[in-house]
Amino acid sequence: MSANISDDQLEIIQEFVTESRDMIDQLEPTIIELSQDCSNPDIETINSIFRLFHSMKGSAGFLEFDNIAHVTHAAENLLDLVRSGDIELIPDHVQLLIATCDFSKDALDKVDEEYVDTGIKDDADTLANQLTQAIAVAKGEAPAEAATEETPTEVAVEEEVAETPAKKETAETPAVDAAPEMMISGDMVERFVQEAEELLQKAEDDLLAWEKEPENEEVIHNLFRNIHSFKGNCGFFGYSELEKLSHQLENVLDQVKSGKPINSDKPADDLLPVVDALKDGVARLAAGDAPEVPELPELVDVLLHLIEASEPPQLLGEYLVEEGVKSEAIDKALETQRKPVGELLVDMGEATPEKVEKALEKQAKTQPQPAQKPAAGAPAAKPKAPARQDIRVDLTKLDSLINLIGELVIAENMLIHNPDLRGLELENFTKAGQHMSKLVRELQEMAMTIRMIPVAGLFRRMIRLVHDISNKAGKKVDLQLVGEETEIDKTVIETISDPLVHLLRNALDHGLETPDERVAAGKPEKGVLKLSARHEEGEVWVTVEEDGRGLPREKILEKAIKNGLIEGDGSELSDREVHHLIFAPGFSTAASITDISGRGVGMDVVKRNLEKIKGKIDIRSKEGQGTRFDLRIPLTLAIIDGMMVRVGASTCIVPTLSICEAFRPEEDNITITPDGTELVKVREEFYPIVRLHEVLDKEPESREVIDGILIVLEHSDRRAALFVDEILGQQQTVIKGLSNFIGNVTGISGCTILGDGEVSLILDVGSLVEMSEGQENNENLSA
Amino acid sequence: MADAKNQLLEEIDIENEDTQKDKYLTFHLAEEDYGIEIRYVMEIIGIQKITEVPDMPMFVKGVINLRGKVIPVMDVRLRFNMEGREYDDRTCIVVVRINDHEVGLVVDEVSEVADIPEKHVEPPPRASRAGGSDYIQGIGKINEEVKILLNVNKLLFDEEMEQMLAAAGQ
Repeated sequence: MSANISDDQLEIIQEFVTESRDMIDQLEPTIIELSQDCSNPDIETINSIFRLFHSMKGSAGFLEFDNIAHVTHAAENLLDLVRSGDIELIPDHVQLLIATCDFSKDALDKVDEEYVDTGIKDDADTLANQLTQAIAVAKGEAPAEAATEETPTEVAVEEEVAETPAKKETAETPAVDAAPEMMISGDMVERFVQEAEELLQKAEDDLLAWEKEPENEEVIHNLFRNIHSFKGNCGFFGYSELEKLSHQLENVLDQVKSGKPINSDKPADDLLPVVDALKDGVARLAAGDAPEVPELPELVDVLLHLIEASEPPQLLGEYLVEEGVKSEAIDKALETQRKPVGELLVDMGEATPEKVEKALEKQAKTQPQPAQKPAAGAPAAKPKAPARQDIRVDLTKLDSLINLIGELVIAENMLIHNPDLRGLELENFTKAGQHMSKLVRELQEMAMTIRMIPVAGLFRRMIRLVHDISNKAGKKVDLQLVGEETEIDKTVIETISDPLVHLLRNALDHGLETPDERVAAGKPEKGVLKLSARHEEGEVWVTVEEDGRGLPREKILEKAIKNGLIEGDGSELSDREVHHLIFAPGFSTAASITDISGRGVGMDVVKRNLEKIKGKIDIRSKEGQGTRFDLRIPLTLAIIDGMMVRVGASTCIVPTLSICEAFRPEEDNITITPDGTELVKVREEFYPIVRLHEVLDKEPESREVIDGILIVLEHSDRRAALFVDEILGQQQTVIKGLSNFIGNVTGISGCTILGDGEVSLILDVGSLVEMSEGQENNENLSA
Repeated sequence: MADAKNQLLEEIDIENEDTQKDKYLTFHLAEEDYGIEIRYVMEIIGIQKITEVPDMPMFVKGVINLRGKVIPVMDVRLRFNMEGREYDDRTCIVVVRINDHEVGLVVDEVSEVADIPEKHVEPPPRASRAGGSDYIQGIGKINEEVKILLNVNKLLFDEEMEQMLAAAGQ
């Protein structure tokens, strides 16, 4: 495999990496939860983590990523012992599991790039040894335990893997307990529904085929595999009724597969209603209901009846035979390449009915409640017809599609506002044009939604961060995530990831007090850190909020004065203005620099990153009560509403979102300070005037402010009035970057192509407003 | 004018990389003929409306729309500290692509694609009075004609240029 990797294999590997990453991302928070209270672990949680490592081990083994397989196998062993109650889970174990997650992530990165996991052997061995040691320590002396009835399989597995690491499959069935603790997202449910439908459809086809050719073993195998996968999925999602029924069905099929007769002349007739019932259950789920199966008891009875007279479950010898059968099945499945790896691997782990029985018994004891929870946690599972299908698309393809649509918007503008048409009365053309504009607009909106992904992934990553930092800083914190389903452009998510990390670090390090301080201040010992996302005012707001000590006004002022950021003693500044000082470059209030934060580079980077995506940041803070940061991000990046303005012969675009108002100034409203700064009075406020012709270095029609128009621009709560000759009108503006060759230009954020094909610059409101203040400051200094 | 030149380029485009060797697009600037390696040349377009960008060095004239792409335009005359000249219908923009950057070069007039074998290329003069000699890759000779062969990379990315851009960006 290492020498020549075929496309097929490549695809499998990529699939493996993606799936494993997804699983780790989902489960890491769960593991971290455990670390907070591992005295009485929830059996479901342990099971879901066990399944993570189990399936990773299986896939990695199959793909010959020995190092990954080695480590995950060790982790799996540990969990299995915890699961069966043989050992107690202690915090050290959880730390090891977290370390395993980290290792796996690194390994997956490597696999993703190089398609091999060599070169991390040392890390793998160390970690695996630690895990094995932990098991040995926890078990005291292992052999005594191994003699009991339940452990032989595990020992066998262990030896097997030790001998030929990663080649063979493990003999364990993924545990079938229901309802893992973690949140199941709407997306996952949709995927489940889709896959379930495919599986059941195949199963139905197979059943019908079986009826025609009862001797055809392949059909039975396929059937068994499909039902088995379905069962596995149900178990993972915690849909206990579906799982139970499919499990019984699987038992029947298993018996057929192993060549024993069942009590039915026409098995297909008996089994088809079962498949129908499963289908109904899935349809219910797709419609947003709980996936219940009302006919469950009757159907289970029918199924039990089918295998009633037969012998008790298989012996060890049979299990070994099945080992052989299984590897053939794997090869075959690989050839056909139809299924995702995960599914293949669930199939491969299938071969021990004993284990299934055992797990089922256990489940019956511990797990009687229905699967309401995941259904409730899946608000995005729309009651739509379950016809929806997903495909994975390369992001670059998507980007070029969006670029093309951008071009289309420009082309449309060029066509409809074509100079050749000026002054003509073209009724039909105008109609057709309007129709096209509407379609283009819809197309554009659709394309934008394609790029949108829920912030859940980003938020969940923060769980880990918060866990690590709060441990390090000795703070107790309750992290609350709100609005995880809010969708944001993928690029935006990437861009706000670092700022969010900064903000959370600051919140934990500087914001929240230590438990002692909190108690002394009469607050609950545990601080609350809330991370939320929501749509507001045509933007997405991501909020980081904590109930810590708040921003200390005096300290900030002291620091600002020391660093020469403000003049005087700052007593005239509002709280808000003082708070915004922390965004100034080189500002840090931490009395001591910790290794978590406090090097004074954080907040201005946060602000700059946000400005890159035309976002804003807002602070609200009350001393003693907490601090709240609002990140306000525009919904889309690529296309904005723009106001076209003219200065002399050149035109520019001002983003409409930043415009508060525009007016023709009167002589009386203009004040010129002795140092030459022009101010305009709007109602009771004074705004500095920025002359666009000076920014662009152009000759305006008139230099008299009263001859032109003033546009009041707002940027992070500061305002300035932009002086232009004329406002030409509004238009949809496709943002294009100025060439890298030119680099960043002060006052310009990008450019766009106008209807006549000409390039027009888009003004950067942030730097214009700053420019106006810069003028003031400079003049203040020189005065 | 420009169309004819593009046709010329298309013919060459069909041939492969190897045959692009020793081929130069020659153009006229002030009193001299210059050449740049054909492999950098994407296309030649007539002069069109250039949108000025503030705070740029003199020779960066601004940006143009090249079929939906926004590319910067550099006036080669100004780059060499020569005197500027009014653009006319013979003025062309030669679009070159190097290191993933596309840049338009404004030249007085495009002449032809010339074959200048290596043996007819002399090394650049050591020193020269004008500041431009750094960008000279060699002096090509075709019969009695002399073509100054330019190093496109240096033309676009030399230190001086970057400093100027950085200074302008401040």
